[in-house]
Amino acid sequence: MLFEIIKDALLAAMAAIGFGSISRVPRRSYIWCGLIAALGHSARFLLMDPDVLGMHIVAATGIASFLIGSMAVFISPVAKTPAEAYLFPALLPMIPGMYAYRSFGGLAMCLLGDTQEKFGVYFYRFAENGFICLAILFTMVICAIVPIFTFRSTAFRATR
Amino acid sequence: MSNSDSHKLSGKRYTSKEVCLFLSDYAVALFGCAATCIRLDRNINRMAAAFGKKVEMFIMPRHIHMTVCQPGEDDTFTYISSVRPAPISFSLNTRLSQLSWHVADDGLSLETARHRFEHMLQCDKETPWVTLTLASLANASFCGIFGGDAIAMLIVLVATAIGFRLKQLMASCHVDGRVIFFVCAFISSVIGASAFILTPDGTPSIAVGTSVLYLVPGIPFLNSFSDLLYRHYICAFSRFTDAVILTACLSLGLCLGMKLMSVGMF
Repeated sequence: MLFEIIKDALLAAMAAIGFGSISRVPRRSYIWCGLIAALGHSARFLLMDPDVLGMHIVAATGIASFLIGSMAVFISPVAKTPAEAYLFPALLPMIPGMYAYRSFGGLAMCLLGDTQEKFGVYFYRFAENGFICLAILFTMVICAIVPIFTFRSTAFRATR
Repeated sequence: MSNSDSHKLSGKRYTSKEVCLFLSDYAVALFGCAATCIRLDRNINRMAAAFGKKVEMFIMPRHIHMTVCQPGEDDTFTYISSVRPAPISFSLNTRLSQLSWHVADDGLSLETARHRFEHMLQCDKETPWVTLTLASLANASFCGIFGGDAIAMLIVLVATAIGFRLKQLMASCHVDGRVIFFVCAFISSVIGASAFILTPDGTPSIAVGTSVLYLVPGIPFLNSFSDLLYRHYICAFSRFTDAVILTACLSLGLCLGMKLMSVGMF
């Protein structure tokens, strides 16, 4: 399990650094992007693990996102970079890409389906994956932004 | 002391017009590089207060309407500036935010602030090959996070590298963003779908699904929620709509790519 956590954390860190570079995060902040993403993603991994807490993906994502948002706020004055610069790259590894993909696939197959039975099956896949995907996205974004608004004085003085 | 620093703490008094024109340019640049409304509001008010002015702003998705006045005097100036489409840049966002603090804390003159501001805009350049390499590695890592095997990760790496390079080239030719998203998603998904031929027993569906994730417009989505919490509903709705349209273009490109490669989604 330790190997899985480390592998997951390293991949999340790499993904965060890469997406940080796309959004032109200052280079000195790459290390922080990677660190926050690795810790956040590992936290979600542990929260969802059946042997630890076995939480639902939506709740686990919410807690991990709040953790990422809080880390971004308190690291931002140290790194002299706005907290938002870390948020997106660090959150991205938690984006429910496969749910979105399956949801979109279900929708496409619904449109192409020729029988009522097939339509029902694919519509169920579209709705199931789509609802989970939306719930994860909304929870993730709101939980990550709340610390910025809660600790405004810290978040908006980071570049001072 | 540098030439620009000699303007510090000059104690010069500026007209509302001079301050408004600078703050408008600053606001447009900060908004263009994907800053949230709350950051824009705070930075502008901080600098206006340092220049002894009061400012009111009306932030629209394509324009910023700004009025600067001298409290207690009949000196008011209003200016509407257009937001220029610019690439997302947290580096520029950081430097512009630092500039606002320098104006407030160090008492920079308007001339020095303007000089530094224009220098920041000129210096905000990306290193395309570094970004390309890191973005490709990032998307391959994504594939790994979602359970893709080594071959799937390699295919995603190649699909992202080609798609992202195409995105950079099309952006440099000022092609419309929606067209860029559609074309890049199409190309990347076609390359990603080759996993069904190269490694049919592996994780080809994960390779296709993650091959276009580098295009997901995450920052507009995040910013729209931030604006929503700050009650900038029009901006929030506009950013959200932009993000949804880009996602739709991405999905269309992905769908066509899969259709071309005769790949089913399940």
